[in-house]
Amino acid sequence: MDAVWKDSSREGLIFGVVIIFFILIGLTVTLSDIVGNSLDLDSDSMIGNTRGLMVTYSIIGLWIGIRGASTAKRTWAASLVSSAAAGLTTAVLVGAFVFFIGILDAADVEMRNYLVQLSRPSVQLLIFTKKPVVGSFLTAGIFIISSALGGLLSLAAEHQRHSQQWQAAFFERFSDLSLKRVKDTFHNNTRLRWVGYGLFLAISLLIPQFLSKYWNYAMGTVGIYVLMGLGLNIVVGLAGLLGLGYVAFFAIGAYTVGLLTAPAPISLQIGFWPALIASVVLAALTGILLGLPVLRMRGDYLAIVTLGFGEIIRVLIRSDLMSPYLGGPQGIRDIAGPTIFGVSLSSEKAYLYLIVIGILLAIFFTNHLQNSRVGRAWMAIREDETVAQAMGINTLYYKLLAFATGAAFAGVGGALFAARNQYTGPADHTLMVSINVLCLLIVGGMGSIPGVIVGAFVLKGFPEILRELELYRLLTFGGLLVVMMVLRPEGLWPAPRRRLELYTEDSSTSAPEDESAGQGAEKV
Amino acid sequence: MVLLETRNLTKRFGGLSAVNRVSIQVPKGSIYSIIGPNGAGKTTLFNCITGFYPPDEGDMLFKGQTLLGYAPDRVTCQGISRTYQNIRLFPAMTALENILVGAHPRLKTNWVDAILHTPRQREEEKMAIQEAAELLNFVGLKGKGDLLARNLPYGEQRQLEMARALANSPDLILLDEPTAGMNPNESANMMRFIRDLREDMGITILLIEHDMKVVMGISEYIYVLDFGELIAEGPPDEIQKDPLVIESYLGKSAT
Repeated sequence: MDAVWKDSSREGLIFGVVIIFFILIGLTVTLSDIVGNSLDLDSDSMIGNTRGLMVTYSIIGLWIGIRGASTAKRTWAASLVSSAAAGLTTAVLVGAFVFFIGILDAADVEMRNYLVQLSRPSVQLLIFTKKPVVGSFLTAGIFIISSALGGLLSLAAEHQRHSQQWQAAFFERFSDLSLKRVKDTFHNNTRLRWVGYGLFLAISLLIPQFLSKYWNYAMGTVGIYVLMGLGLNIVVGLAGLLGLGYVAFFAIGAYTVGLLTAPAPISLQIGFWPALIASVVLAALTGILLGLPVLRMRGDYLAIVTLGFGEIIRVLIRSDLMSPYLGGPQGIRDIAGPTIFGVSLSSEKAYLYLIVIGILLAIFFTNHLQNSRVGRAWMAIREDETVAQAMGINTLYYKLLAFATGAAFAGVGGALFAARNQYTGPADHTLMVSINVLCLLIVGGMGSIPGVIVGAFVLKGFPEILRELELYRLLTFGGLLVVMMVLRPEGLWPAPRRRLELYTEDSSTSAPEDESAGQGAEKV
Repeated sequence: MVLLETRNLTKRFGGLSAVNRVSIQVPKGSIYSIIGPNGAGKTTLFNCITGFYPPDEGDMLFKGQTLLGYAPDRVTCQGISRTYQNIRLFPAMTALENILVGAHPRLKTNWVDAILHTPRQREEEKMAIQEAAELLNFVGLKGKGDLLARNLPYGEQRQLEMARALANSPDLILLDEPTAGMNPNESANMMRFIRDLREDMGITILLIEHDMKVVMGISEYIYVLDFGELIAEGPPDEIQKDPLVIESYLGKSAT
């Protein structure tokens, strides 16, 4: 019994600390607003939504209760005790905190000087525009009641699951229909795969017609990140070369198109299409030139050197030294867009189509490279570079090839990005771009093409949908990465293994073992 | 005809001579062994031959041509394969892909072929996969080609490493303790397998081994290393009687 108390109150403690953290960064205001608006609740406070906050608290409380009950699944009594313990801990912690800031607020202390998010209206929200004592007891009460409810709920569910067989059968059936099963059939049935690709193509070609201008722009941004993700996927996901300066190639693509098509700083104005080709070639060449000295390094050292390279490029393009040639901090204006037979393709919709075509080409390239001698050489280098070389693979050549291909994709991305904005400057090419692309790979799944697409939508698409959470983008990033590393280290849509062996018999022994499960546990 | 020869090969790490003036000759189509206590320099000798360590002195000849200054990938392309003391497969690749990587030097298509999916590339890929599947059969792993290498049990990983080493159709294969961690039964199978390699495929074999039963049962000729120096050489029955070898290495187990 003693241990149950301890475990569950620690659980409650964690929840409490997290909630207080959310309060301190002002996330409670945003969350209560979202919940309040979606449920159409009235509010008493100036900012945020008091009733929305109550609902938010109750949901968290339910969760605490369910978690608490699951720490001790022995008996009714033990579960109830642990649920209550968890809820009570959170309630006391958060209640005390709210009481504390409520009292300080009542004493006319301007907490904003120390904690930016604790403005007076937001404190009013936290104490539900009541007296501090009432507000804090209300807060604690919500947590206690909802966690007790959560505990009971989880017990009831547990009870049901034990007593009713059909439910177990249902759950089994349900997990059969899980995403993994869908993916497995998708990967192993060629015809189905083509249908899938066709569907994807049709959707990606049709969707821009129905989207507003803003959404076409937003999707275009996601698309450019998909393009870059596909490039970095070859470098990091396939060849295992951890590069952090990927933005450099993006910048080279953007600036090549800028310099070649814009009227200033050097007036060449050769038109978009030749400039696009030039930017791809130049980015790939830079990849090779950078790779020659750098690829002798492995692992962490490579990451640091490429990181430095990315920064060098950024510093160079905003320097006074290069400003007569590159435009300096002002960047390059009036970059020309693509035209076909004199018709300008400069609408958001046209750009989205262009980007989609770029993505399809990139997928085509990646797919063919991946499933060939070249792709196998890359994977071998990723797995064990020394042995790969002993297998007769010219490792430097293949690493350069990976670098050049990845750089070329980023070059296309940069070129399209610059032309679409009709502008490019140093601010577009910060370290954050490299980090974003790497993050989308990690979230989606290293070495997996669908993973890249999913990752780009999660990291660049969601923030567009949840504009209200925009402020917390970095927080969401960090949280998402931590959660992913713990729960799904292989990514949302990990790379499948292609089946190559032709089966004549005993195909039952060759069912692929759970490859994703092993990946996290075994750090190779 | 001598296939592999080292002449006064020397490799020093700081003041320590890991391999000191070692000269060996391995004729084509033979099974030769290198034995010696731990730290005698056997694996270092392998690493010199395969290009991982550049030797400090001496020369190595393969088919009469020097291997000096060759990087590991070029050595492999000459027709030398090896396995490792502690198995080193590509863990997150399937068994078949491991073998296909082994076949890398024999395949000729480049990245342009791969992107364009040329008929040449498709043909070669089909052939390579078929040959890899045959090799998989040969080492007794039929039907396990699509399993990840790390999911195979220990014994099968050894077999897979062997198949990978065979995939570039080598003339010479260097086996670093092929029966390490095996029970007597498995060792006997491995011995039979190694003999088959020579009889059926005509591959020359040079192996490092600790298991005296295997060494004496399989080798035609044995080199004995101790502290980096060659202290004895000869056919198994002579080595067993050599007082110097008994003293330095075999110790009480031989008497």
